Amino acid sequence: MEEVKKMPLTEEALLERIRSGKLIEGPEYATERYLEGLKRTLIVSADTELISAPAYFRAAQDAPNINAYISATGIIQDELGHAHIAYRLLRDLGVDTDVLVFERDPKEFKHPYAFDVPLENWTELVVANAFYDRAGFVLLGDVYRHTSYAPWKRALVKVDREENFHLRHGERWMEILAQDPDKKKELQRAVDWMFVLTLEWFGLPDNLKRHTDQIAYGLKGLTNDQLRQEWMKTAVPLCERLGLRVPAHYEPDLGQYVIDVPFPAEFDAERKVWLFEKGPITWDQVLARWKARGPANEELVRSIQRGYEQIRKSLKA
Amino acid sequence: MEQNLWEALKEVLDPEYPVSVVDLGLIRGVEFAQGKAKVRLTFTSLGCPCTEIIREDIRRRLLQVEGVKEVEIEEVFDPWTAENISPKGRLILLELGVT
Repeated sequence: MEEVKKMPLTEEALLERIRSGKLIEGPEYATERYLEGLKRTLIVSADTELISAPAYFRAAQDAPNINAYISATGIIQDELGHAHIAYRLLRDLGVDTDVLVFERDPKEFKHPYAFDVPLENWTELVVANAFYDRAGFVLLGDVYRHTSYAPWKRALVKVDREENFHLRHGERWMEILAQDPDKKKELQRAVDWMFVLTLEWFGLPDNLKRHTDQIAYGLKGLTNDQLRQEWMKTAVPLCERLGLRVPAHYEPDLGQYVIDVPFPAEFDAERKVWLFEKGPITWDQVLARWKARGPANEELVRSIQRGYEQIRKSLKA
Repeated sequence: MEQNLWEALKEVLDPEYPVSVVDLGLIRGVEFAQGKAKVRLTFTSLGCPCTEIIREDIRRRLLQVEGVKEVEIEEVFDPWTAENISPKGRLILLELGVT
């Protein structure tokens, strides 16, 4: 018989529970510190899924035919569903998600900087499906395998399946476009700016970032550098197979992928080009760029918040 | 031969869930004559985002069946409901938490 404990949980007891492979079923089984870490992680995930929707929707207008458009909007619908899952988990943890989604300043959103750089045509959209959705797949796959928070683990089964389709869609369209010489040039231009932006997505390298809390609490399993490698493991062969140049290659002696350009580097977000000739920059400079957010940030967030503001105004009137 | 085609189609999975197009109830007829495999295909909804991927997967798999030189896929848009999913398909979906 298991006895129900009413005593406040100590940090040590919680860590012991997680180390022994037990899952946390709800806030009553966790500490404040665990819950704060969980909320931070969930907000990043929720914001990322949410903001991908307007970012993809804008580019989907350039779909080459109706079936392609239906696929793109199907993906957007999935992303909104994934966002809903993560916000719902936050609401269950006592977060006011209406305030979070509809009243937060656009600059306070936690989605990756990559989404703040506008996707402007079908080619860029399908590369986003192949690169960005792959990043999401790698990150959420890691959460699914390692998270100690049971409600999230259960919800991610469906998310994982759907992201699979998004990757497939992106890869399939990259294959189609790569067969046309003009489209292939456009594809290469998209790969040139989007590849490194996705590498950046995984965050600070391990020598600058300590994940002790996140990993001890079982909020993630792999480190940033390991996740970046995971992403390259499938993204690089995809591009090589299609005859697209990427600034990374596999180094058999090291047993891992190596980035062939200065990284991190300065990015001209308006022209969507990397200024590699200026040499590597520091991660502090990257963090400053992220914090300032990119060109499409305001537009994307406002497109989500617009309807809520209109309803609120008309209710007041 | 038709039996071979059905067996091959059982290996063609839905792009999202590991359930075959046969178990999902999407295949509404299979015929074979003079090297040509004909498949009558429906989708779970008119707005199915995966129609092209499903068609491609079916075509690719059937072309691997010995004797098949050509594949013709006819989209029939027969109404589909969840009732059309086989017990096996239902079990797989249930295990994944899809109801």
